[in-house]
Amino acid sequence: MWLWYDWRAAAVADSDGNILDIEIWDGWKDLDALCSRIDIISNNATTPEAERLLERFPDSKLRIHGSADLPQADWPLPNHEAIEYLDKAAILLSKRGVEAAAGDPDRRLEHLIHASDELRASLLTMESRLVEWVGLFLPEARFERDRAGLAVKVTASENLTTLAEELNVSLPSTGPSQNEWVSLKDWATSVRDLGSRIELMENVIRELSSTHMPSLSALLGPILAARLSVEAHGLMRLARLPAGTMQILGAEKAFFNHLKTGAPSPKHGHIFMHPWISRSPRWVRGKIARMVAAKATIAARCDAYGGTAWGSKEVDEVAKKVAIIRSENPKPPMR
Amino acid sequence: MIDGKAIWSLNAVPKQSVYGETLRKFRGEEYRRWDPTRSKLGAAIARARNSQYELLPDEGDTCLYLGAGHGTSISHIYDQVCGQNNVKQGRIIAIDISTRCLRDLIHMSQSRPGLVPVLGDARKSDKWGLMVPNKVDWILQDVSQADQCEIFVNMVKKFLKPEGKALLSLKAASERFSKDSDKEVFTAVREQLESEGFTVTEQISLHGLEDKHCLYFVRN
Repeated sequence: MWLWYDWRAAAVADSDGNILDIEIWDGWKDLDALCSRIDIISNNATTPEAERLLERFPDSKLRIHGSADLPQADWPLPNHEAIEYLDKAAILLSKRGVEAAAGDPDRRLEHLIHASDELRASLLTMESRLVEWVGLFLPEARFERDRAGLAVKVTASENLTTLAEELNVSLPSTGPSQNEWVSLKDWATSVRDLGSRIELMENVIRELSSTHMPSLSALLGPILAARLSVEAHGLMRLARLPAGTMQILGAEKAFFNHLKTGAPSPKHGHIFMHPWISRSPRWVRGKIARMVAAKATIAARCDAYGGTAWGSKEVDEVAKKVAIIRSENPKPPMR
Repeated sequence: MIDGKAIWSLNAVPKQSVYGETLRKFRGEEYRRWDPTRSKLGAAIARARNSQYELLPDEGDTCLYLGAGHGTSISHIYDQVCGQNNVKQGRIIAIDISTRCLRDLIHMSQSRPGLVPVLGDARKSDKWGLMVPNKVDWILQDVSQADQCEIFVNMVKKFLKPEGKALLSLKAASERFSKDSDKEVFTAVREQLESEGFTVTEQISLHGLEDKHCLYFVRN
């Protein structure tokens, strides 16, 4: 005996294909109910109709519609209207799935990180133009110390004379026309606004990243953690990476160049941004990067698979190890 | 449909271009140009020698499209199978795993009754198999996965009607075993398909339109 079922009905037939009993569900005009039905079947569970029939025919073999070993029989297949409703439910389910993607922190971080990168790139070009522009009119002024502060000073100045006073330099004989100065000042305003916008955006990244990956954020800082997970296309993928990959994530170009031409291998990728590595002497950076990357994979796995989030205790231990590596290698190796 | 070198399909949603393709009127009816560099199925039609007119499903068929993407090919299949407001009573089930692609497909399905976008993994047919209650007339698979040929064989066995049409768009670079050349990969896949008891009606190389791709036209 065979028990056939699909989303709308269930039926029992003997091996010759004679139908013995049928149960039909007629609530399919309610799309929400239909969607939850589809969920039930997608998760390999049985429908209430099939269960009722299974109680009546406990020795029948339960098979979902489309199984290869079912005998040929006149199963109660859905009619045209029911299939139309099924299509509607399918579209609704897809829509829900697409909407759920917005709740995925990985995708949100991806946009945030890329947006802040783009902002930063344009900030740097605009800022250097501003420095050159002001430098043309005030050749004596030097901005190496405080490039970022220049935008604020220019915005606050009424004209070139007040700016020269502010910067404590003499005013040359030729200066910009009034309209030219207004353009320069506008430019400085956008540089200043861009800077504050980046700060705002990075705060959002910090917030999202610290809740999404508390351990990795505690270890490497939220921005770096977010960058790594975006590079790996999501926290789940990041958690599956080996430590060696984590170490050079972001240095793909150098790495494949190494494989192709035999050039020296990269010792660190994005992870270099961490002061443990970037502020260490050149000859220990690789060693520290290797150790920190190994710890970072553990932290990422804690976050991805629901482990206890790391606190200052674990991070301090890693910091201690960094200090040990540094003190063990005080001098560059002999060539 | 085929005019010189270009392929055209009768527009099911008049005055709307799906992906920026040219629209043109022939004898009072609007046609959309099928760009072979954007769609692998379009490329196959452009490149096929013997089965040019057989590749497409017939009007009113039920079609299963695995790896639907942004719906470039789907829109043309819809023109063929369903027509304006689905007068030809066709049904296209479009499966894709990417929510970004589904967004475009859902938008498309709003003006195209009979097109059913489904969010799911093409490999896990028990998750969405329910949407395909009856066997289908036509399958196209374009998933670029390492086991694309095996997925295809399983899908054809499970969902294709006897004497149906099945198309496999194979990306050589996705196959994990690294043969010396793409040609060897293509021959190996052909042998695999034939050993499963399918007849490979035509093996169409998409060289020049789509890199390292080959489309197999198979009947079971």
